[in-house]
Amino acid sequence: MHEWSLACQLVREAEAEAERRNAVKVFGVTVSIGQLTGIVPELLTRAYDMARMGTLLEDAALEVEIESVKGRCAECGRESFIQGFGLMCPECGALGLEVLSGDDILLTKMDLEVREKPFRGRGGVHV
Amino acid sequence: MCETCGCGLPEEAKHTHGDHDHTHREEARLYKNLLDANEAQARENRQHLMEHGIFAVNLMSSPGAGKTSFIESVAKAVKGKLRVGVIEGDLATDLDADRIRALELPVHQITTGSTCHLDAAMVHEALHQLPLADLDLLFVENVGNLVCPGLYDLGCHLNGILLSVTEGDDKVAKYPVVFRQAQFFCVTKIDLLPHVTFDSSRPRREARILKGDLKTFACSAKTSEGMGEVLAYLAAEREALLH
Repeated sequence: MHEWSLACQLVREAEAEAERRNAVKVFGVTVSIGQLTGIVPELLTRAYDMARMGTLLEDAALEVEIESVKGRCAECGRESFIQGFGLMCPECGALGLEVLSGDDILLTKMDLEVREKPFRGRGGVHV
Repeated sequence: MCETCGCGLPEEAKHTHGDHDHTHREEARLYKNLLDANEAQARENRQHLMEHGIFAVNLMSSPGAGKTSFIESVAKAVKGKLRVGVIEGDLATDLDADRIRALELPVHQITTGSTCHLDAAMVHEALHQLPLADLDLLFVENVGNLVCPGLYDLGCHLNGILLSVTEGDDKVAKYPVVFRQAQFFCVTKIDLLPHVTFDSSRPRREARILKGDLKTFACSAKTSEGMGEVLAYLAAEREALLH
């Protein structure tokens, strides 16, 4: 179950990003999973629910978006969306499509509460 | 408006408070590949291996497809010509490492515990346990698993998959992720073909649909049938990389 390794990596990356942005709370994170990766969204979510415990992401819900597989045919030059793993051009039947999308595992969005930088400009009057 | 002090001043009149911070909610748009860290380590491993003139092959298969026997067979065939080293990956035990040690080859066992695959960081650690100056060819025997190892680049120069005839001829289509990451695959245990139902053309055909340039072989480590072609391929790839 490599989803566990990925969930741990997701928590590490998202926590580091949250800290870089001075976040005090994370409400949600979104990942995009390419269909060619074979990652099972339900398993990733279950693994994430364990991995986020005791971290800055403890209350952050995970949203998983699926990235479709798109390929470009070297023979006919057409770009097509593909179902499954077979990289065959649906237009002309040529094999070995160049993959344009569908094999990434990306952290794409975070919903954060961020601490503002202390004001250093003019007019610092407390009301 | 700040919920603590009630202020809601425009930007130019913002102020600092001694006892609380102002916060706001924001949505961060990112494009962060979760495999980047592993891939960076894999590139470093490849560089490290190149500096030592070592050609490395990551072998993947389901448990029992014959990875260790394949390595033993290659090691015996190239003895006196190439110096072979092995990194063994297993959930538990160092039984495979013992077999390699019996051939008097340098070997390091990675025991992953519950982790179902090797990653580039594990291989990096292992590289430091091997006498790299004394090696020409390194095999990394991945954890027996035809699913998870496919996502993790280890920093080897070739990824190879072994598929034994006893597993059935439908495995390429069933485990596409791992086959997509390979440069070659080899049907093993072909000495058992008379005893099993296995259409040798099927995995080749299905592999071409997944990855047009996947090299395919068939061999038996036990009888050495077909091993010559695999050895010639590995030697040519090594030559192309290092010279």
